[in-house]
Amino acid sequence: MILGDFGTSYCKFLDTDRAGAEPTIVATKALPPDLQIDIATGHNGKRFASRYVNELIALARGGEALIGEDSFLLLDCGSRDIKFVHYEGGKLADMGWNAECGASMGFTIELLERYYDLDYRTLSVPQQTFSVTCGVLGMSHIFDAVISGIPVAEAVARFVKGIAVNAYRFARSPKKIYLSGGLCDNPLFVASLPCEVVGLGRFVLLEGLKRTLRQGEGE
Amino acid sequence: MTGSSRQPLDRQTANWQHLLAGARQVGIVGVPPLMVIRHLNQQGLIIHDLDAMLVKADLETVSQLLPRVYCAILRTVVLNGLHLDLDGIVIDVGPGKCDAAFHVAAILEQALEIPVIRTENRDDADFGTPICRSTLPLMEKLIRITEGVKRPEPAPPPPACPPTAGFWGVPPRDFSILELFPDTTHVYGWSRCMENKTPAADRLEAHMNPAVPTVFFAQSFCAKTALARHLAGRHPHALYLDIDVHTGGSAKAKIEAFLELSGAKR
Repeated sequence: MILGDFGTSYCKFLDTDRAGAEPTIVATKALPPDLQIDIATGHNGKRFASRYVNELIALARGGEALIGEDSFLLLDCGSRDIKFVHYEGGKLADMGWNAECGASMGFTIELLERYYDLDYRTLSVPQQTFSVTCGVLGMSHIFDAVISGIPVAEAVARFVKGIAVNAYRFARSPKKIYLSGGLCDNPLFVASLPCEVVGLGRFVLLEGLKRTLRQGEGE
Repeated sequence: MTGSSRQPLDRQTANWQHLLAGARQVGIVGVPPLMVIRHLNQQGLIIHDLDAMLVKADLETVSQLLPRVYCAILRTVVLNGLHLDLDGIVIDVGPGKCDAAFHVAAILEQALEIPVIRTENRDDADFGTPICRSTLPLMEKLIRITEGVKRPEPAPPPPACPPTAGFWGVPPRDFSILELFPDTTHVYGWSRCMENKTPAADRLEAHMNPAVPTVFFAQSFCAKTALARHLAGRHPHALYLDIDVHTGGSAKAKIEAFLELSGAKR
């Protein structure tokens, strides 16, 4: 079985028939147009598979598989959107998916790093932050700050912190966040979240698909 | 305008039967008093529920009369009013519908050269809510409830079932979200008040079932968003959702995930 998480910028795949196989990552723009796999998730996935699992369900099932607690908050920050599931006592307590106002946050963070030739591993969390609710609209803060004499690196760091704080508030300001998605690998973003953070990496939704597959086989 | 309803809201609509004399097609907005519905049926008039999507014209054409950021149901009302060949409109305002309808009535009155009769439905005789508690698919439940507004008598009761999920709210403009729910979903909120023919029954509207996972739905920019969110906050297993003109993919995914992860579909 080939499982796939089709994201806006990157797609993640796992071949469950190959014992011990690691997930692979392919840039979305490099996908073969006639690709067909077995089970897909991600907003871009419906056309690539005969079976589709909605992203929130895949995220929740991935959290159930990876987090050994009955109560947890799992936040997924992707290129295009942010979403979370909150479990209490083993049951779904709350959830959210911000695909409109949270638009393009992860995408914009990556874009800025390349455009300004920055390395997020070398940037420290700034004291100040921009009020950012949307990646695209938030960029104007950076341009205004740079015009006012603030160094580019500082302005971008404030932007990233603003996005992190917005994601934290969207998740109802928890004390602890299990973080999913490519932004787990961005130390500036992770350190900007104003709470305890446990990074789970970018394959949480694939884990959710594996769990869904196992549940289907058990039925 | 029934025994328990208030008098018409202004002098013009006091003689509403006279204003509708000779009419063939009448539009209704909200749930007009039973007395009015009975009269329209007795006269054999064709009744159009203007809250529903009746014409295919672009909703943007309403922007000359209403702001774009406005309740999609009331924008639809105006769109229907502009494109249907109506001889009159009966529009319920006040606690049985909303204050925004009151203003829309004035706009329709000036835009259309037909009588626009304002009512304030305070009917309090319970007709029952068997459709809300039935085994029918949720979309069929809401279709029958909204169609029932045009009739003065209750429909035959369908078979009942215990609920596994709840849908609280008004009939959505975009019915496609209703396809996502199991048939064992019970209907609450203003939709239940509609079936009961008591649209101003605030206690019935606020009734919810804490034992079943419930989606609290409201149209964006509707005053009922406040009640929906308030009740969702008090319900132990709720999803609050407001949707504007069309249901986006993320909203549908939220409903689908909520129902599956809460066990409502099992």
